Amino acid sequence: MGSLINYIIRRVLFMIPVFIGVTLFTFLIGNAAGNPINLIRLAFKGTLPQNVYLQLVAYYHIGENPLIRYLYYLWDLIHFDLGLSITSQRPVASEIGPWVWTTLYLQLSALALALLIGIPIAIYSARHQHSKSDTTITGIAIFGYSTPTFWLGIIFIYIFSFYLRVLPSSGAVSAITPWWGNWTLDRIAHLILPMTVLTYVQLATIIRLLRGNLLEVLKQDYILAAMASGLKERAVIYGHALRNAITPIITIIGLSLGASLAGAPGLETAFSWPGLGYEFTQAALALDIPTVLGITVIISVMVLVANLATDLVYGFLDPRVRVS
Amino acid sequence: MEDLLKVEDLRTYFFTEAGVVKAVDGISLDVRKGESHGLVGESGSGKSVTALSVMRIVPKPGKIVGGKISFDGTDLLTLKEDDMRRVRGSKIAMVFQDPISSLDPLYTVGKQLIEAIRANNETVSKEQARDMAISLLSNVEISEPERRFNQYPHELSGGMKQRIAIARALARTPTLLFADEPTTNLDVTIQAQVLNLMKDLKKNFNMTLVLITHDMGIIAEMTSRVTVVYAGQVSESAETHTLFYHPTHPYTEALLKAVPRLDKRKQLQSVGGNIPNLIDPPTGCRFHPRCPYAIQICKEKVPDYEEVETDHFVACHRWKELSLVGVQ
Amino acid sequence: MSQLTEEQTAPPKRVHRQRSATQWAVAWRRFKRNKSGVAGLAIVIAFVVFAIFGPLFAPYPPRSTESLLQGQAGQPPSWKHPFGTEINGIDVFSDSIWGARNDLWIGVAATAIATLIGLAVGALAGYSRGVIGGILLGIIQFFFVIPTLLLILLFSRVFQVLVYQGFGVNLIVLILGLFGWPGISFVIRGEIFRVRELEFIQAEKALGAGNLRILFRHIVPNVLTPVIVLASLLVAGNILTEVVLFFLGFGPANVATWGELIEEGVQYVSVYPWVALFPGLLVVTLVLGFNLLGDGLADALNPRLRE
Repeated sequence: MGSLINYIIRRVLFMIPVFIGVTLFTFLIGNAAGNPINLIRLAFKGTLPQNVYLQLVAYYHIGENPLIRYLYYLWDLIHFDLGLSITSQRPVASEIGPWVWTTLYLQLSALALALLIGIPIAIYSARHQHSKSDTTITGIAIFGYSTPTFWLGIIFIYIFSFYLRVLPSSGAVSAITPWWGNWTLDRIAHLILPMTVLTYVQLATIIRLLRGNLLEVLKQDYILAAMASGLKERAVIYGHALRNAITPIITIIGLSLGASLAGAPGLETAFSWPGLGYEFTQAALALDIPTVLGITVIISVMVLVANLATDLVYGFLDPRVRVS
Repeated sequence: MEDLLKVEDLRTYFFTEAGVVKAVDGISLDVRKGESHGLVGESGSGKSVTALSVMRIVPKPGKIVGGKISFDGTDLLTLKEDDMRRVRGSKIAMVFQDPISSLDPLYTVGKQLIEAIRANNETVSKEQARDMAISLLSNVEISEPERRFNQYPHELSGGMKQRIAIARALARTPTLLFADEPTTNLDVTIQAQVLNLMKDLKKNFNMTLVLITHDMGIIAEMTSRVTVVYAGQVSESAETHTLFYHPTHPYTEALLKAVPRLDKRKQLQSVGGNIPNLIDPPTGCRFHPRCPYAIQICKEKVPDYEEVETDHFVACHRWKELSLVGVQ
Repeated sequence: MSQLTEEQTAPPKRVHRQRSATQWAVAWRRFKRNKSGVAGLAIVIAFVVFAIFGPLFAPYPPRSTESLLQGQAGQPPSWKHPFGTEINGIDVFSDSIWGARNDLWIGVAATAIATLIGLAVGALAGYSRGVIGGILLGIIQFFFVIPTLLLILLFSRVFQVLVYQGFGVNLIVLILGLFGWPGISFVIRGEIFRVRELEFIQAEKALGAGNLRILFRHIVPNVLTPVIVLASLLVAGNILTEVVLFFLGFGPANVATWGELIEEGVQYVSVYPWVALFPGLLVVTLVLGFNLLGDGLADALNPRLRE
């Protein structure tokens, strides 16, 4: 038990320098032209509204030396003050909340679905290695991670929205009349296409990794030993093989979850899905520096937290990790 | 004595991409109730696969393609999988070679023991199973069983892991125990302890033991009868004493020459050459490419498995004319 | 005593991995047996040939709107325009050929930069203990935490608007290269840690072998295996990133890439679906080729995974 607590403390302490690194990095980008205002003025030439300009000058503490400005920046970050969006002229922090949620529910529902489908398929594939169905499964999987998600999304939109007209093509929710007559169903209708594309891609990754690990694990003596002590095959597969094969994948899923918070700007843009990736893209095209840096910091922190959670779950699942 | 296990002409092949590996290609074996039977041969000769075949847990792409296995009067190869499962652990159990990999790293010792105790046997409550597990741990002479019960495999030494693996195999007091190289991966001093433990347990649990090893020293010490396998086939089988003093197969002689002896300062001889490719085994007698006594017929004809005397069989064309040297 | 017999009766075990010419030959033989790996290699070679010689046969120069003047804009596939034309009259087939050249260049050149940086940082992190090693590991970890893809978009945009527009695809090569190395260096660091602890290297050290000798005779060959595999997969990843980058409108103007064609095609997908379809299929095929190649190489080069 003591070793587990020790392990947690070590992981949390390790986050601090990385967090400082991230904030230093975004601070440096913001100050690439001397200070953030110079950068913003370069991008917006004469079109920056006076009131926004004044608020930003105050927010960035222009006139202080860079170290003091960095400390102010840290202080503001800790208080969840990310400055003012130039395009919407609203606080970045209050805008980001819904975006995070929109991205998360797309990503998490796809991940859950991919795990639900992927685990049994991977088990089947590993247990029938080199069979026709195994070859088909691995073939379909390798297509999954060779295909640009947004491109697949466009094909889906073309087929289901433009051609068959059965599902909406853009957004997370309808503007005026709900799809399928009800606002909950409307959200589901909007979710189906992007979620299907994302599920397919994540499914590909899960099947590929889990199948590979299972093939290794199934060769281990403890699997034979469990069989030899008279356990049911199901109990051996799910209790021993799957548990051993999936534990290292937890790390990869955790890391990719972090990446997927940001990693789907293409897909989100294809579906005009108002999540972090889509909004970052819009802000970056407009050179809305406060929004861009705000999203970067928020995603980095969320990735840090996701990594920590992953490490903890891993430490909990695999007793060997706690030692080193 | 009556046969507890009778294996006849067992064939277990592995259907790999490179070809069909005939790991076991006609092995016959009879193990009598209460004896310690040695199964000896080089690694890759099919000893382990024979044990896995008897338990019907040959991993893919392996498959039992022929032969007959009867255990205590039951034909194991025709049993339904559900019935076969009830045989595993309760009638026939197995200890594996590598204690590091034969315990699941993610579960505590206690959990793995309880799992084995309660397999197909849910009438045993968890509390009863716990008590049984603790007493199993003391049976295999593990100190502080209560503490070990809650530890993970990586926290234990190799010798201790092997004792726990043995305890797990004994969980439901099987009649027949396969021990597959149980001491090969252990330190020399620990080896002797584990072998002694197995001897005691065999007596106390009233078991029949099939000891799989490549080590003629262990055979001499532990077994009363031996079957020598070479390249998936039986080359000789006899009482241990007979085999050591009057070997009739050149391969047995070669194995005996490879045993280091403390009392004789003689040059050690290894068995020359490597074991043959089991995808495309040699014609005739499979040992002929490495046999110092091989003649034309050995390359052409598969030798019959002939009776030398009571309880002594050999598969060699020239056993009558050769006078082979055993242990002196 | 049983240890002695073990050595004498068991076939010799391989104690360590040391690559020699014959081992590369063995790896190649193993690779040849892997059908999907060979298919991947064939796809990659086909595309390289296509990229080198294709432009000689391309009916139009890159980004040419010639067909617009002939009233041929937005035409579906035909004999004259096998992949059709887009709204400005650009021949999708011609630009796909030019795009193959640019996409391969982006994929391979960016991977080369990333691999060089990755090797240098990874080797340094693997060899130095203490503070320097810790800082380098921290930097590698840092890159795993920040949203790399978003920052690639941002850097491309900021550079073009505020600094210079004329770099063309090489800007993308540079940015992808600068963001692509951490994965490689992390693996190399781990591999160096693993290899330097191996017994035979310790033994050579004890025998007085110099660090350089050990580096080139043992570390480099061992590290090469994962680097080759990762590089192959990274080319695939870089091509996918290129496509997203252009699709989102962050690419340099006026260059023929598959991503640029797809971006134009997506805008009018309901009327001219072929514009996004054909270059997309090319992307999928080439990326699939590099992924299959990488997987095949991983199987062939890694004796630990051998059955």
